[in-house]
Amino acid sequence: MTYSEMLSRIWRELRRAWAITKKDARIYYLRSGTIMFGLMFPFFLFISFAVGRNLPPQVLIPGLMAITIFFSASSVGPMAVPTERKTKTYERMITAPISPISILLGEIAGGAVFGAVMIVIPLIIGMIWYDIRIFHPIGFVASIALISFGFSAMGIMFSAIPTENPGDVMMILNFVRLPLLFVSGIFIPIDQMGKYGIVTVLSPLTYAKDLVQYAVSGNSFYGPMIDSFGIIVFTALFLWIGVSMHERSRKTV
Amino acid sequence: MKAIEVKNLTKYYGSFCAVDHITFDVGSGELFGFLGPNGAGKTTTIRMLTGLSEPSEGNVSIMGYDISRDPFHAKERFGVVPEVSNIYEDLTAWDNLMFAGELYSMPRSERSRRAHELLDTFELTGFKDKKVKGFSRGMRRMITIAMAIIHSPDILFLDEPTSGLDVQRSVRLKEIFSDLNRDGTTLFLTTHILEEANTLCDRVGIIVKGKLAAVDAPEKLKRTIQAAQSVEFSFDTMTPMLVHDLAALPAVSSVRKEGDKFRLYTNDPSSVATSLFEYAKMHALKIISINTLGPSLEDAFLAIIKQQEGKGQEP
Repeated sequence: MTYSEMLSRIWRELRRAWAITKKDARIYYLRSGTIMFGLMFPFFLFISFAVGRNLPPQVLIPGLMAITIFFSASSVGPMAVPTERKTKTYERMITAPISPISILLGEIAGGAVFGAVMIVIPLIIGMIWYDIRIFHPIGFVASIALISFGFSAMGIMFSAIPTENPGDVMMILNFVRLPLLFVSGIFIPIDQMGKYGIVTVLSPLTYAKDLVQYAVSGNSFYGPMIDSFGIIVFTALFLWIGVSMHERSRKTV
Repeated sequence: MKAIEVKNLTKYYGSFCAVDHITFDVGSGELFGFLGPNGAGKTTTIRMLTGLSEPSEGNVSIMGYDISRDPFHAKERFGVVPEVSNIYEDLTAWDNLMFAGELYSMPRSERSRRAHELLDTFELTGFKDKKVKGFSRGMRRMITIAMAIIHSPDILFLDEPTSGLDVQRSVRLKEIFSDLNRDGTTLFLTTHILEEANTLCDRVGIIVKGKLAAVDAPEKLKRTIQAAQSVEFSFDTMTPMLVHDLAALPAVSSVRKEGDKFRLYTNDPSSVATSLFEYAKMHALKIISINTLGPSLEDAFLAIIKQQEGKGQEP
C-alpha cells in the first residue's frame, strides 16, 4: 500500500466512523436509559452527598462535572451496542467496509460527544449560582475532550459483554462505576483520606476530577501532567481490552 | 474473473462441524441459489462469505479480494440483505439510506440521487420522511434491500429475501432482483422457496449437513431424477380409500395428496394416466383436471437430501 493509498484509507475509515457517531447521536442520546443512567442518576447521587456539606464551589463544581462526564459518556455505548446486536444493525456495520476498530471509534466518539455536551449543565450551574470562572479555558476544553473519550471507551469495553439487553450491561457497569466513584476523592477529598488516599490512584475518575479542578481553579492534588497521564493510561487500557473482547466475540460467532 | 470463489470453507463450533470443506464458485453476473434444509449450514456459509464470521479453514475470495486478508476492499464490492430486516427504526427511511451510503463513503450528491432513485423503485417516495418504526414488514424489507444496494455493489447477498412477504411484494422483489442481475449484479440467494430458486437462478448449490451435495443448473438437477415424473389430477369427490387405491395402481411408485389434488409418482406417466381413467370410470368419479409433470426442483432437492443423508448414515 502506498503512502497516498494509506492516507485515503484512513480518511475513508474516519468518515465512516463519524457516520456511526452521528447515527448514535440521533438514536441514543434521548433514550430513557441514557438520560436516566447518564444524567439523572449521577446528578441526584451527587446532590444527595453534597447537600449540607461545607464544600467550596471550586471543589464542588469540578466534582459534579467529573461525575456527569463519567456517567454520561460511559452510558451511550452500553445502550447502543447491545440494542444494535438485538436489531442486527451491528451486523450491518460489520459487513460494511470499515474496520472493527473504526466501528468502535465511531461508537466511542458518540459517547464522548454526549459526555462533552452534558458538561454544559454543571458548567451553567457553576457559573450562574456559584460565580465560577474557568481558570484555564483551553485546558478545560482539552481535559473535557480527553476525559469524555476515556470514559466513553470504558462504556464500549463493557458493551462487549455478549448480551442483547442494554440493562444487563448497565447493571454490571454500575457495579464498577459506583466503587470507582467512592474511591475517587470526590466525596472525601484525597488529602483528608490519610493512608487510604492511595486507593484513589485506582480510579480513573480521580484523575478526571483532579484535572477538571485544575482547569477550573488552578489547584489540583496530582497536577495536570500526572492527571493527563493517568487518564491516557486508563483510556489505552479500556481500548485494548474493549477491542480484544469485541474481536473475540465476533470471531466465535 | 469469478465474483465469488470458495475453497475448502469450513466452520467448527467446538467439535461440531457446521460447514465441512465446501468448494464452489459463482461467476460474474450469475444468479446463484444456495439451498438446503434447516440447519444445513446455509446461514453459517453466508456469514463467512460476508465477513461476519471467521472461517475455521479455507478461503473466500470476493471479486479477487480475500475476505479475511483484505476485508476492506472485499466489503466495498458487495451488499448484504440478511434474513432479519436490520434497519434503524428510530430513523426515517431517508436517514437510513443516507447512513448506508455514508458507510461506503458515497459523496452527498450521489447518495441523495441514489436514495431518490431507490425510493422511487421501491415505491416508498411518499414515506421518505417517516420513521421506519411504523412501516409494514414488506416496507421494512424494501428499505433493507435499498440500503444494501445504495452503493451499486457488484455482488448482492440475499438471505431469504421474500420470506414472510405477501404475494404482490414478493413478485415485485423478484422483478427487482431480475433487473439487478440483468444490469450485471451477481446475486447470491439463499431461500427455502424452491420455486423462487427454480425461476430465478442460473445455478443452485445444495448444502446438506454442512457438505455441498450438488451444484448445477436447476434443469440439470431435475434431469438426474427422471423417476420423479408424476401425474397430477383432481377428482370431483374424495373417498376414504382413495389414497390406498391409487397407491395400488400399476406403475405408481408413490402417492402424495396436495390440497384437493393428488400426485402419483411414476416412471411411466402414460400407463398411470390410462389406469386412472379406468379407475374413475369404475368408481363413477369425474376427473376435474389432469396433468403430467416432470420432476420439480423440489423433487430433485428432496432426492439429493435423501441420498446425502443416506451417505451420512453409512458406517
